[in-house]
Amino acid sequence: MKEPLVRIRLDGNGRVYHPGETFSGEYRMEGIALEEIKAVEVSVLWHTEGKGDEDLAVHDFHRLSVENGDQIDPRRPGRFSTVLPNSPLSYRGVLIKIRWCVRVRVFLTRGREVLGEVPFRLGEVLPPRSATFWARARRSEEGVSSNEGSQAAGPERPASPGNGHPPGDDRPLPAAEATVP
Amino acid sequence: MARSFRLYEKKRGNRWTGSKRFGSLGEGLFFAVFFLLGCVGLVFILATQVIPEWRVNHAFVESQCTVLQTRGGEAQIEYSVSGKPHLAWTRTASASDSGGPDQQEGPGRFAEGGRYPCWYDPVDPDVAVLARGYTWWLWLTLSVPISFLLIGGGGLIYTVLSLGKSAERRAARVTRSASRDLSEKTATTRSPFPHVPPADQITDSPGTELAYRLPMAGSPAWTLGLWLAACLPWNGLVSLFAVVAVNSVWEGHPDWIMILFLIPFLAIGIGLIVVFVRQLVLATAIGPTLLEISDQPLYPGGKCDVYLSQTGLLRMNWLEVLLVCDEEATYRHGTNTRTESHRVFQQSVFRRDQLEVQHGMPLAARFAAEVPCGAMHSFKAEHNEVNWKFIVRGEVAGWPNFERSFPVIVCPNGHGISKS
Repeated sequence: MKEPLVRIRLDGNGRVYHPGETFSGEYRMEGIALEEIKAVEVSVLWHTEGKGDEDLAVHDFHRLSVENGDQIDPRRPGRFSTVLPNSPLSYRGVLIKIRWCVRVRVFLTRGREVLGEVPFRLGEVLPPRSATFWARARRSEEGVSSNEGSQAAGPERPASPGNGHPPGDDRPLPAAEATVP
Repeated sequence: MARSFRLYEKKRGNRWTGSKRFGSLGEGLFFAVFFLLGCVGLVFILATQVIPEWRVNHAFVESQCTVLQTRGGEAQIEYSVSGKPHLAWTRTASASDSGGPDQQEGPGRFAEGGRYPCWYDPVDPDVAVLARGYTWWLWLTLSVPISFLLIGGGGLIYTVLSLGKSAERRAARVTRSASRDLSEKTATTRSPFPHVPPADQITDSPGTELAYRLPMAGSPAWTLGLWLAACLPWNGLVSLFAVVAVNSVWEGHPDWIMILFLIPFLAIGIGLIVVFVRQLVLATAIGPTLLEISDQPLYPGGKCDVYLSQTGLLRMNWLEVLLVCDEEATYRHGTNTRTESHRVFQQSVFRRDQLEVQHGMPLAARFAAEVPCGAMHSFKAEHNEVNWKFIVRGEVAGWPNFERSFPVIVCPNGHGISKS
């Protein structure tokens, strides 16, 4: 017999989604008989991964339950659609990762569950360890110093948590309109 | 894949797998034990203390008795019920120290052979008391089983409500209740950025040079207070032993074991005093640091003006303002909760070397700062945070580095921001 499975397909598959945009798609249940299904839950959610304990928040949640008289037909695809929120944006940090996903959980008889999950990206936040981020940071620093008509010290890649040592005296002075009476 | 029943949990990457049912069962049992202990404790206190005391004050019948003999806090009394004589040993005072209207304290109040009012139990006339009243501490003892009942009962209700519910369904319920709370607020106070901390606390203080004066995190007064709280009791206790040790030397019989034992404690006490005095001088000599900002919240790629004012009487080797972004993750390790922090971005936006600040003539500087385009916004959840802040730090000649932190909020500025 075929292994029970939930397949999820996103409209606009694979691209980055933006806040305020409509996020939609469909899910299909495979290898699951009609009489086996008790309920289906569709959630659009974010959760954290990394060093800290997991935080999870559901942006959009729908539950179809046979008990409540909802029609669940595994032969027909189910659809979901929601307007994405402004935050939090997807993030791949050092200690913290924020991952958005759509999760379909099918509750079967005898306490079994089948889970389908597809991650997606909300927003275009750059990972702090990426070269692009530091290149942009340097560019923004140059923009600030040129606006003020003076030099500014460039962004530092923090070597370790809480690196509190001041840079050496040979660093360029960023003084912008600084006055000491 | 259909999930089978797993008794033992196993970590797969960042996720734990295992039997949710077994977990719920364990959780339910834990709270059930708490609830049962609370029930048993409450019944025990009610049956042995509260109800008997209430009956003494409300159900016992007043009569007259003769004190035959006294022994410690007890007396043997003789009284009659319906013409039939009864003998009983009873305490000469009620359990209450505060005393009731019928009670007079004092062991010598009841003289042998004297006649006094007494109260006997109409159900069991062999039980009688010489004094009545209420025990005030009894209500305090009730708080122990009641707290067990509340924790156990609350936990049981939570476990039953969560039984068979997915993590998403539970989270959705939390989100819905939070939305209900938010819907009570006006549309103007509702933040369009979920899980981004509100900027209210930052924007409620106007600046003199720029729009907002930033609040400082972790005021030096708190640090001083903590050192003082550690310094005073430690040195107070050590000085008591020190006086005893010095007296022993003074009297010509030095207690060398005690003196040797005291030396490391004295050293720690002196160290605490040194640190406290140092902190005190740092806080008073360096003077307040004011940081004002033109915009709040900030956005990735957006620029803002910053104004710095540093007062005090100082000769500084250097003074620097940094714009930083810290990740903070809180996690449980056994029974401990730990927080780990990592700085993912740090940019110097202002620096001066070899400067002197005099009384009444603060250092004033105005400069620009920019949050890099594509940077992460401020984020706050229960266990994870991304915090942006300005850090003013410097080195005062002859003193250790000082550092003061001023949190700011960075909001996302992606496409199609919804104002809902």
